[in-house]
Amino acid sequence: MHVKFFSLTLLVGSVFATGCTSSSPPVASSVDSSNNPYLVSSEPSGAIPVGTARETVTDKQDVTLIGHIGGSQKPFVDGMAAFTIVDPKVAYCGAAEGCPTPWDYCCEQNEVKQNIATIKVVDSNGTTVAQSAKELLGVKELSLVVVQGNAQRDEAGNLTLLATKVFLKGQAK
Amino acid sequence: MFRSRLLPWDYAVRNLMRRPTRTVLTLGALAVVVLLILVVVGFIRGLESSLAVSGDSHAVLVYSVTAEDNIENSAIAARTPALLTASLPGIQKRYGVSYVSPELYLGTRVKTSETVLSGLGLVRGVTPVAPMVRRGVRLLAGNWPKPGEVIVGRLAVSKLGCESNSLSVGSQIEFENRRWRISGTFAAGGGSFESEIWCQLPDLQQVLKRQDLSLVALILKPGFNPAEVNLFCKQRTDLELQSIAETEYYASLQKHYKPMRLLAWFVVLLVSGAGIFAGLNVMYGAVAGRVRELATLQAIGYRRRAILVSLVQEGMLLSATGALIAAAIAVPAVNGVAVRFTMGAFVLRIDTVALLFGGGIGLLLGILGAIPPAIKVLRGPVAQSLKAI
Repeated sequence: MHVKFFSLTLLVGSVFATGCTSSSPPVASSVDSSNNPYLVSSEPSGAIPVGTARETVTDKQDVTLIGHIGGSQKPFVDGMAAFTIVDPKVAYCGAAEGCPTPWDYCCEQNEVKQNIATIKVVDSNGTTVAQSAKELLGVKELSLVVVQGNAQRDEAGNLTLLATKVFLKGQAK
Repeated sequence: MFRSRLLPWDYAVRNLMRRPTRTVLTLGALAVVVLLILVVVGFIRGLESSLAVSGDSHAVLVYSVTAEDNIENSAIAARTPALLTASLPGIQKRYGVSYVSPELYLGTRVKTSETVLSGLGLVRGVTPVAPMVRRGVRLLAGNWPKPGEVIVGRLAVSKLGCESNSLSVGSQIEFENRRWRISGTFAAGGGSFESEIWCQLPDLQQVLKRQDLSLVALILKPGFNPAEVNLFCKQRTDLELQSIAETEYYASLQKHYKPMRLLAWFVVLLVSGAGIFAGLNVMYGAVAGRVRELATLQAIGYRRRAILVSLVQEGMLLSATGALIAAAIAVPAVNGVAVRFTMGAFVLRIDTVALLFGGGIGLLLGILGAIPPAIKVLRGPVAQSLKAI
């Protein structure tokens, strides 16, 4: 009886675990990282989730963040290497739910507010690279990225990262 | 030498005069077909032009990220214009005034003094900076609105479905439980603003008991990248803003109305098809009664090709005349007629493209209507055709 109950709990648990979010193992970017000064082939260490970073990171602090690209219908800035990422703990709609834009986290808008950061990929002068992040890094919506750079905070609590290194850790299906 | 000659041009013309009733009826049918085509193409051209001229290539709209693609649903903080002005160095300035227009926009019931029922109107609360940003807007009559006053676009009459004199300067309208005096009328170069009613922003905020805005429209200096505005919106996640170039916004509306445009083109196709079948029917009748005449022409030495060309000339002459009559009716009677639609109103445009299309279809009707019956008649043996009744 206990075995049956345990099995059922495991089964239900696994269904819930896979229902909302699905992540996949690391994937190779479509862009060649050997010729790209911003894209790295090995994962930077010490990455912290966006939500934690918003609570702990101070202005001008070097930090490594991890998150899914998303937070709105259009998370990328056209013509500039900039985008928003959301803490991996925030669930987005699964493929089975039929949502055409799961990266906008439409069901978790309140959660997103406290778990979002803006990433600006900058050159050695600190200027945002004038090329779409999709082309520059080979990333897309819901890509799981690890980004390293210098944090900018403002009085409203917004977190922006001037990123110099980006690692593509995975891509949600 | 004789065998290679075509029939004289006036032979085709005289033939049309031989049966005046039939010719006039055919001409009428062709003119109606081309007129219908002109009306539908004029509708498509009007809709496209209205959306195309509504966007300014230097203007950027900033609105709520939760509004998705519908600016009407947007609500943003009242401090947004000040934040944008302070944060974006690329905003155009003149004599110290930034080209930043805060606006409150809504669709609401508007009642004119002469109507019992109210129509759905589009009201925009603006500041005196609005004409600097909405550069196509021109006052046609009257003055810029003072408190308690509005200016109305020249197509607002169509949008509200009321008499034109009820929106004249000095008249009164009512919306949001308040009466407003019309202080002026304006045009916007055929853009979508022409179907709107504009009043002072504080006035509208007061009657709506709202302090927020729908959007901020701004003009960037030449060479400044609109992506910088988008980047600002992404960085200020607390404000929940998004931006879009105004031309891009209206291009997205064009996509929104694509099914309607496709349907209109389908109607053009159907009307053209019906016109071709009507033309075929008429020409079959006309040619069938002339079997002996056409056989006689062959007997005296005219080649089938020459007779075919003459019949096509007849058809084209008739259809070209029909197209000209249709154009002569459409340009004064249809061009400029206002049509109401969800976003406001636009005018039917019988422009060069519409005329070219209508004329082309008209000529095609003449050619396609004449060739099959002519081939059928000319294919028969001359000796047998000479005895035809």
